[in-house]
Amino acid sequence: MGAAGSKLEKALGDQFPEGERYFGLENFGNTCYCNSVLQALYFCAPFREQLLEYYANSKNTGDAEENLLTCLADLFTQISSQKKKTGVIAPKRFVQRLKKQNELFRSYMHQDAHEFLNFLLNELVDILEKEAQAVKSEPETSSPPEKTANGPKHAQANGVSKEPLVTWVHKNFQGILTNETRCLQCETVTARDETFFDLSLDIEQNSSITSCLKNFSSTETLNAEDKFFCDKCCSLQEAQKRMKIKKPPHILVIHLKRFKYIEQLGRYKKLSYRVVFPLELKLSNTVEDADIEYSLFAVVVHVGSGPNHGHYVSLVKSHNHWLFFDDENVEMIDESAVQTFFGSTQEYSSNTDHGYILFYESIGASNNKS
Amino acid sequence: MINTSNGMISTSSTSANTQSPGLKTYFKTPEGRYKLHYEKTHPSGLLHYAHGKTATQVTLANLKDKPAPSTPTAQPSSFSASSGVRSAAARLLGTGNGGRALSFVGGNGGSKSISSTSSRIGSLGASSSSNSMINTNYDGKGTYLIFNVGDAIFISDLNSQDKDPIKSIHFSNSNPVCHAFDQDAKDGHDLLIGLSSGDVYSVSLRQQLQDVGKKLVGAQHYNKDGSVSNSRCMSIAWVPGGDGAFGVAHADGNLYIYEKSKDGAGDSSFPVIKDQSQFSVSHARYSKSNPIARWHICQGSINGIAFSTDGTYLATVGRDGYLRVFDYSKGQLICGGKSYYGALLCCAWSMDVKYILTGGEDDLVQVWSMEDRKVVAWGEGHNSWVSGVAFDSYWSSPNSDGTGENVVYRFGSVGQDTQLLLWDLEMDEIVVPLRRCPPGGSPTFSTGSQSSHWDSVIPVGTLQPAPSMRDVPKLSPVVAHRAHTEPLSGVVFRQESVLTVCREGHIKIWMRPGTSESQSSNSETISSTSLREKPLLSSKTGSSAYKQ
Repeated sequence: MGAAGSKLEKALGDQFPEGERYFGLENFGNTCYCNSVLQALYFCAPFREQLLEYYANSKNTGDAEENLLTCLADLFTQISSQKKKTGVIAPKRFVQRLKKQNELFRSYMHQDAHEFLNFLLNELVDILEKEAQAVKSEPETSSPPEKTANGPKHAQANGVSKEPLVTWVHKNFQGILTNETRCLQCETVTARDETFFDLSLDIEQNSSITSCLKNFSSTETLNAEDKFFCDKCCSLQEAQKRMKIKKPPHILVIHLKRFKYIEQLGRYKKLSYRVVFPLELKLSNTVEDADIEYSLFAVVVHVGSGPNHGHYVSLVKSHNHWLFFDDENVEMIDESAVQTFFGSTQEYSSNTDHGYILFYESIGASNNKS
Repeated sequence: MINTSNGMISTSSTSANTQSPGLKTYFKTPEGRYKLHYEKTHPSGLLHYAHGKTATQVTLANLKDKPAPSTPTAQPSSFSASSGVRSAAARLLGTGNGGRALSFVGGNGGSKSISSTSSRIGSLGASSSSNSMINTNYDGKGTYLIFNVGDAIFISDLNSQDKDPIKSIHFSNSNPVCHAFDQDAKDGHDLLIGLSSGDVYSVSLRQQLQDVGKKLVGAQHYNKDGSVSNSRCMSIAWVPGGDGAFGVAHADGNLYIYEKSKDGAGDSSFPVIKDQSQFSVSHARYSKSNPIARWHICQGSINGIAFSTDGTYLATVGRDGYLRVFDYSKGQLICGGKSYYGALLCCAWSMDVKYILTGGEDDLVQVWSMEDRKVVAWGEGHNSWVSGVAFDSYWSSPNSDGTGENVVYRFGSVGQDTQLLLWDLEMDEIVVPLRRCPPGGSPTFSTGSQSSHWDSVIPVGTLQPAPSMRDVPKLSPVVAHRAHTEPLSGVVFRQESVLTVCREGHIKIWMRPGTSESQSSNSETISSTSLREKPLLSSKTGSSAYKQ
């Protein structure tokens, strides 16, 4: 391990970023789904920054009961405060806590990295919201750290209202989709907003993420069996429906639906399709033609031919270098190597390393770049 | 003969592999049907997925008649004792059937054993030298396809129906990635090959065809062992009218200019690049040096270069998403601009040097106007990255009145979505509406940068930021055709056909509507004779080959 670390250090040489740590994560038996996502989150600069800040502040308040958030913050702090620049860390407490919290992840079965990410983000939000609630119910002991955790003012203005809080997790990952349905009878457009932490996209063979996003927002006609109940017409009507992005998130997480339930087989099957993803991306399916540009900074890769077994690794961009994280191992890779994770043009291929979750950060719009 | 029949078997198995039930063998356009005429490929199975990172590129080479009667350029070693016998047989085969076209059939039948043996059983290579008699064929004119797959360059005879290449050249040290042919080369070397190691070779195509080995012969080696640059070659091009000068673009953002007449013995070191983000041209310090100049163009890879047909301009596209247009002789940036997003992968000029096409990772085909120094249209229609673009200079609008007033350009693009798209660019329809209603019409919408300079004159030497989606007129394809099962890497227009090539090294030749009748009837005679021959050969020896 030490040798591998020094190898990476050698590879980076004097280009080793100041203050940065590259640590592999030990695998406790099929916990690669967790490790790969944790690495992606660790190198999500604004998320890490705010998590460490939160941790520093909450430590001051003292009464930190262990939960997934404190375990994660603990782990990130542990990595970032290592004396050595490279090495291996065992995310023991975090994994234990995770297994305690959710029986889904308790077994030694192969888990889905996307499910884990989803669970984790929602759990973090829950914890932050509960904390905020607790603070509000307490009379005037509100300390500054919670304030940063709660974010915007309207939460306070509304007092103990049920308005959803906007935590720093929201600020990073949350976007808003709007589901527009236009009744073909009365032309009334009904828009329903929903928030998201990631976009799950259907994929096609030999396509691009751009094209998958386009399909995601393509207009769908509701007719025949599947009509729309128009409030104006007070009856089922033919309608056109489309999904648009109303508020693009700061961190855009794209989940490729590579695991598909095949009815004829009665089971899930992995789609190894070749789906190319550019290192820079713009969303064209937004409500306003915002043309926000995103830059790819992490890819969680599923290795293997089936949904119930395999391995997860991640590719991470840090300070303009690309790194390959495979549990304990960390290697430097060339940017051009990212394209070897696009997928296969043929179903039975020896290449089974396929990009599964893509992490893009918006650039230019804010000065969050570190 | 066993060798030959082996070749046949591999041919049929290849065709079985490449034929996909979902693919049509024709596509319709307003001017008629384009029909799949035939395919070219390489010995199947051998290199599959071993070469993941190198996509096949194809270069079209027209060899003219050799001016002087050929003097034997023979490698003494290529004449083996058995050659007399075999060549007699080949001559018999050729004369027996008569006709020029048939000599190709004979030639290919024989030389197929070169490719099959060379790639299968190296030790049998010696027997392929017996084909040296066929070499005389290559004194004449011919059209050849040069394409790279894995560690090899393959050469196919475009005028033959044969799927298999007539020649393979293997590189032991590195993979060939790009190539270029100069049909007006005055002396000898007309073919350039760039490798992933950064090494570059120039050779005579005819000499390669005449040689029976599987190595390059008579090559001049530039940037030997990466002495100047060990960065991967990305794109290579002859300077039109450049007297043997050529440019090689590398993955590190540098372009080197070489002269083929120089042997490159001198010191060719260049000063350290001070600012990676700035364009700079450095000339070699010694007159003997080869390369003679280094252009540092951008950070990150240069993915494609193209000289305008008159040699005035050089266009480059790269990882940073910028198209750059240089005045080649002055070494000056003229204009350029950024893609919508992501890298640009390919570029091509119109014959009249008025437009440049680019394709890239934003799935768009971009039309750049040299007159306006900006993007004038975006072609939307690919479902993945655009990997090849080309103007169809042989196409003329069916309803053009010949006044030249209403110019319509036809161009094609291929993508990693396996599609070939054809587009019509009618400048009256595209540009004028744009000018009539400038985006300034809705000032409240303006987010700044783009709209403000959209209509103003763009000064020379400036690069423009990415345009906004709403500012650029969109084109829709005339035709979208799923041409292959694998992602495509290139498209070439010829007088009578359109060629598409996929990353895995399969080439398809689509006959144009007009030419297809005469051409196919002509080719049918070829195929019928070759068919008459093939079963004969395979039935005689095929069974024995299977029994082995």
